[in-house]
Amino acid sequence: MNQTATKYAREIEDLFAKYPADRKQSAVMPLLHLIQRDFGFINKQAVRDVAEIVGITPTEVASVVGFYTLYHDTPQGKYRFQICNDLPCALRGADQFLAELCKSLGIQPGETTPDGMITVEAVMCLAACDKAPMFQVQGPQGITYHENQTVEGALQLTKELAGKEVKA
Amino acid sequence: MANEITLTIDGKQVTVPAGTLIVDAARELGIDIPVFCYHPKMEPVGMCRMCLVEVGRPMVDRATNQPVMEADGTPKLQFGPKMETACTTPVSAGMVVIGMSDKVKAARNDVLEFLLTSHPLDCPICDKGGECPLQNLTMGFGKGSSRFEFEDKQHNQKHVPLGELIYLDRERCIQCGRCVRFQKDLADDPVIGFYQRGRNLVIDTSSEPGFDSIFSGNTTDICPVGALTTADFRFGARPWELKSAASLCNHCAVGCNLTYNTRREAKSDGNVVIKRAMPRQNEAVNEIWLCDKGRFGYHFAESHQRLEKPLIRKDGELVESTWDEALDMAAKELRAYGFRFVSLASGRLSNEDLYEIKQLTENLHGQACLYSPMAGGDLTPLIGYADPQGLSRVGKGTVIVVAASNLHQEAPIWWMQVRAAVKRGAKLIVVNARSTRLDKFASAVVRYRFGREAEAVLSLVPAAETSGESGKIIAAAENLVVLYGSDGIGLEGSRQVAAASAELLRASNLLGKPGSGLLPVWQRANDQGAWDTGFTPVDDLAKVVSEADGVLIAGADPAGDHPAYAAALKKAKFIIVQEQFLTKTAQLADIVFPVQSMLERDGSYTNGTRRVQRFMPVVEKLPGTRPDYLVTAQVRQKVVHSNLEFISAAQVFMVLAAHLPDYQNLTYATLMETVPQHPILGRSDVYYGGTSFENRQGLGVQLGTAANRRDKYSLPAAPSTQNQLPDLEHAEELMAVPVAELLDTGTITQKSVLLGKRTSTPFALMHPKTAQQKGLAAGDKAKISLAGVTYQAVVRVDESVPTLHVLLPRSLGIPLDKPVLVKVIQ
Repeated sequence: MNQTATKYAREIEDLFAKYPADRKQSAVMPLLHLIQRDFGFINKQAVRDVAEIVGITPTEVASVVGFYTLYHDTPQGKYRFQICNDLPCALRGADQFLAELCKSLGIQPGETTPDGMITVEAVMCLAACDKAPMFQVQGPQGITYHENQTVEGALQLTKELAGKEVKA
Repeated sequence: MANEITLTIDGKQVTVPAGTLIVDAARELGIDIPVFCYHPKMEPVGMCRMCLVEVGRPMVDRATNQPVMEADGTPKLQFGPKMETACTTPVSAGMVVIGMSDKVKAARNDVLEFLLTSHPLDCPICDKGGECPLQNLTMGFGKGSSRFEFEDKQHNQKHVPLGELIYLDRERCIQCGRCVRFQKDLADDPVIGFYQRGRNLVIDTSSEPGFDSIFSGNTTDICPVGALTTADFRFGARPWELKSAASLCNHCAVGCNLTYNTRREAKSDGNVVIKRAMPRQNEAVNEIWLCDKGRFGYHFAESHQRLEKPLIRKDGELVESTWDEALDMAAKELRAYGFRFVSLASGRLSNEDLYEIKQLTENLHGQACLYSPMAGGDLTPLIGYADPQGLSRVGKGTVIVVAASNLHQEAPIWWMQVRAAVKRGAKLIVVNARSTRLDKFASAVVRYRFGREAEAVLSLVPAAETSGESGKIIAAAENLVVLYGSDGIGLEGSRQVAAASAELLRASNLLGKPGSGLLPVWQRANDQGAWDTGFTPVDDLAKVVSEADGVLIAGADPAGDHPAYAAALKKAKFIIVQEQFLTKTAQLADIVFPVQSMLERDGSYTNGTRRVQRFMPVVEKLPGTRPDYLVTAQVRQKVVHSNLEFISAAQVFMVLAAHLPDYQNLTYATLMETVPQHPILGRSDVYYGGTSFENRQGLGVQLGTAANRRDKYSLPAAPSTQNQLPDLEHAEELMAVPVAELLDTGTITQKSVLLGKRTSTPFALMHPKTAQQKGLAAGDKAKISLAGVTYQAVVRVDESVPTLHVLLPRSLGIPLDKPVLVKVIQ
């Protein structure tokens, strides 16, 4: 039936305890976070599950997923390298950084490495304009910022992350 | 008056109630401030910025708190540095609004340029072209050319079926959110929403099936561009080719006003065909809304299964005949068998038809039966809810009781209005055996086991010992409206509920106030008219019919609905049927007269609140058919040699009005009178309220009640509070009760192909425990054995349904007209 409800039974209980009993829908974003953390994206079934759990329609849950850029509705790499190339970052070479990193990984911006580990995508402002080139990594452990980056440093990071996976 | 505010808009003074928004105040002056996202029936959001105007307010000296005056003695005005949105800014005293300066025009130009950056401008192939706010306002305020690079346009999908009924063109969408807000705030079906954001923002649905709402068609009316279109009208015609004909919806007791758009088409052999149904504003009835059944359920008239020639029975077979032969035969037989004559008619017929049938029945000293499982039509002339403003203005101070009704399915527009009334401050008490979609808006919910409806309603009487919280709510009411429906009850149950509702109203001491009264949720459009013209439902219809010598059936298919009626009809000696289709009842007839549908003729209906309204001919009549009233009149002329003076509906209505006291002084002319309605909608400036039609063809006339006139009247005694149904504790069988399903397969609904895709399938709704006892789970197919016949239904479960009961839908193939015991097996 509702696998999300079964899988996160304890977390859901804790979340609901934080909100008034008649405001279950307040838990929609933390619930989506749980799913995003564990699966890297939120599929249609998960949307329906969450809707059932918090008592709103799947359409409303999907709207939340669609609105916030850190929720994803399609599977991509385990780690998402999100490089800001808005104007101030571009002036500090973000576009070139993005192109070179992608070239080194053998993918286009928005694509994922064949091993399914790394996705590189261009995003809007991450509020670190003075420290470009910069990116954030969204992965199972959460989000980390990486500022004043070089392509070599970024490649090193991808290797470290891949290595950690092998050990795990 | 203290709560009225005077302000100046474009040099003209206007006085409006406090709290009015600038855009609405301007409207009163005939000044149109363009809007996209604003809609007068919804809360403002100020998203589109189209309504920016310059607003000046009288300057106040902060030191003295006195208005600052100019040298000439007029108040000095302070204009803000920026313009304000007229749709979110309430008026204030002395305000001066400038709605047509160069600055304002420049702002409109900018907003339009912005909206058009990715709009495809495919007006030549767009259904909205010709009645499109974006098109009109671009012509009025936009640029002739675009500064935007063509390659930079955002391209989106142009053909997205949101459901079977509504298509979305994502390129045309200007993201005003009217549809999303309508579905959430008014329809309570938030099944479409925004997805993604910025330039990627699209409207999307995640419901199963897509756009799962019975109000979906309304979004196409209020969409200010051609983004949302109906499957019915998409690429069907251009708006300027269309002619309009005023009509009424004939699917339920609300009596929604609508306008059919028609044109002649080559593919229909040059005949006039209906291209779409649009709401026609009547604030006292449906405001500007229609449910999907009303909007898409008119195709029955185009069905190729329509009867075009009279049929008579010769040597046991129904064969085609001529009108003269069939009429002569009818008259001959009726003269021979006229001792025990029964007419059976339904609220599908107009007042004129029913009046003629009633006259014939009286001439033959027969019995006029109403084909309906609901009682109480004799109470409405006494204590009916007869507020000339209808439910659309009900708010604070009013208590609404909804008893034994799944209002969402029985009368969708009233459901929407009850919900809106609660938002405006009315209190709602729901009295039902199971949970319905009104429960979450209710101040109190009263549950009962089926059979104890009357007892539950009487428990609300403030003096009753059991009344509790709901009794307190009613005791504090300034007005009381009691709606009762037919959820899980047959005629006897309905009689009990009606009497109990009347008793509740009487005990409230609020009768006589125009805003208080009884409102039956009839199943058909003109059931009330049938009561008013002298038809009453009978308890044992099968017996009455089987004992009759001659039976006239019009607008009803009892044999198709229930095998018991079919068996009874087979016993009747002589049957005349007036029908559009060769129904099962018609197949049993000795004479079948082919009649016109309501779309081919004129007439009048009396809706649930007893508002008498008129409908006009929309399409040309099917050759060979005649209107019901004429058929009956011609039979009557031959039987009793009456003068055939009534050859038009208008003439029949004149006679009817002369004979029915409540209808005195009514003529078609009075039914066609209109008064200005608020909000002012439906004019050529379609951007304000959408493409609903202005009502120029009549708002109808609300009949009064004895209570409101302070006449003397007497109500039936309060019903007994005995359980009307047997005790089930030790029964092998389950108690099956009939419930309403909006999209059923009634005689006329099932001929509307478009709705067919959304029609419900037969279901058996049970408490999960009851289902379990029978070895069933949700989704299983259950076999229901009823009077020796087995029917299949898909099991649905709901914990609010009383145990040991099974709820079966009416008009979906399972014959059930009252609670009966059935066997349910796997």
